[in-house]
Amino acid sequence: MSSNVAIEIKDLRKKYEDKIAVDGINLEIYKGECFGLLGPNGAGKTTAMKMMYCSALITSGELYILGLNAKKNAREIKSRIGVVPQEDGLDPDFTVLENLLVYATYNNIPKEEAHLRSQSLLRLMRLDEYQDRSVETLSGGMKRRLAIARGLINSPDVVFLDEPTTGLDPQARIWIWDFFKHLKSEKSTIILTTHYMEEAEQMCDRVAIMDEGKILVIGKPRDLIAELIGKEVVEFDTNPVDLNYYLGRLRAEGFAYQVIKNTVSILVKESQDGRQAINLIASDKIFIRKPTLNDVFLKLAGHQLRDE
Amino acid sequence: MRISELFTVPRFNDGAIKVWRRDFLYFKKTWLVSLFWIVLEPVIYLGAMGFGLGAFVNNINGMSYIEFFFPALLATTAMLVAFFESTYGNYTKLTHQRTYATIMLTRIGPDEIVAGELLWAASKGFFSVLGVTVVAIFFGLIENYKILLALPVLFIISCLFSCIGMIFTSIARNYDSFIYSTSGLIVPMSLLSGTYFPLDQLPTGLRYIAYLSPLTHGVAAVRYILHEGSLSLIATHIAVLLLTTWICMNISFLRIRKKLLK
Repeated sequence: MSSNVAIEIKDLRKKYEDKIAVDGINLEIYKGECFGLLGPNGAGKTTAMKMMYCSALITSGELYILGLNAKKNAREIKSRIGVVPQEDGLDPDFTVLENLLVYATYNNIPKEEAHLRSQSLLRLMRLDEYQDRSVETLSGGMKRRLAIARGLINSPDVVFLDEPTTGLDPQARIWIWDFFKHLKSEKSTIILTTHYMEEAEQMCDRVAIMDEGKILVIGKPRDLIAELIGKEVVEFDTNPVDLNYYLGRLRAEGFAYQVIKNTVSILVKESQDGRQAINLIASDKIFIRKPTLNDVFLKLAGHQLRDE
Repeated sequence: MRISELFTVPRFNDGAIKVWRRDFLYFKKTWLVSLFWIVLEPVIYLGAMGFGLGAFVNNINGMSYIEFFFPALLATTAMLVAFFESTYGNYTKLTHQRTYATIMLTRIGPDEIVAGELLWAASKGFFSVLGVTVVAIFFGLIENYKILLALPVLFIISCLFSCIGMIFTSIARNYDSFIYSTSGLIVPMSLLSGTYFPLDQLPTGLRYIAYLSPLTHGVAAVRYILHEGSLSLIATHIAVLLLTTWICMNISFLRIRKKLLK
């Protein structure tokens, strides 16, 4: 394994009593990379990540973090990584500052060092004025920021973020993604899971789209969009009667499309002309937009509602 | 679960101390509340039973009622405080607060968590015993050094019920589950283990059942130490306590480990 690989995964599987959560994934994540695991609920993202940060047992396969075997060296791995779990897991028995200090003791950080690091992380996360507040009184965004500060207290080589912005208001989300950009600029290796495609597209150097425990595709967001969707998307609304007529015409001209109820998205390839597609249809609601990772996601994972 | 697994020596590192210290830090923040329930309550029992009810009892096995009851009160206090900390307290940290899941994100593993928590609940039981002892000294109930010999036994009792509590925590589905263990086990034990009256008062069959209660051995050991019991009897009771503690400790390690790392 070359030294620039942070995480190496070979045929990793996780079987629970009643279901297979991760079904043989292969993956290499490089140092300094921001890597996104995307997928619908129940796709196996969180379970895959839990195995990476050694909070779930591996059923079979190989998993190396920073060159260390996750099956044997969990303790050492855990001392070198930082984790921000989906449920913040803050300790309601303690104040904001105490949460960091107590967590620092788990990491064997000496008391004075722990104080220095906690104070600077609280400043960084704009929580310094709340340091003596009980965590119960914090807003969702503040709690998440505290959980992030906690995950960084041991100056980790790799940071895992499970759904870091889910359930937060737009302001809090923007702030947190901005912070990740800063983290990224410091050459941290970041692995995250998210539902927010546009954010993943902006943040992640590479993404893997998962569904039903398998990785469907891995690549740079821009490459995936170009390869699987094309240069633009023409979207229009129609009615069930005309739908098949239009789809037939589009097929005849070699256009690919995705249909969600009565909305059709025509995927215009690099070699094709979007205007030609527009000429094939008659609808009051046509618009042309840039393709996004969301289109890739819907194409691969489908658009059916997922339940956990 | 194999028989040999019940007698192993658990392996864990200094992370257990960090887990213990987390609980101690919280205890320091809330000591006044704790004081009320872990010290004041037993002292009120002592007053009600020893001085109130005891006034009607002249002699019980050659001692005054309060002399008879006090060792049992110490043992029962150790049991109750350790058991409740290990059930309600640990269940909260295992489920709602996700404290253990968070600790597991660090270099501390399941074995350190179990070890630290077992030791903490036992410590809390023991702190309570110390509190009651101090009050008892103040009221002149303890006159000699023998209490110093009884304290280690009371610590063993705390450990035992900390382990038993942890087993129930591993079985519990919700807080109501603890009603079974409390009403079905802990309360009967606290009443029928030679605590308020000598075991001879029980019908023969029930007396043998009472000997299955670990608290019976705890009460007997402490009482014999404080009131001139034979050395061999004391040793036997302590041996039963130690053996039960060791087995229950291993069961809690096995069960909680599986809960924490799936």
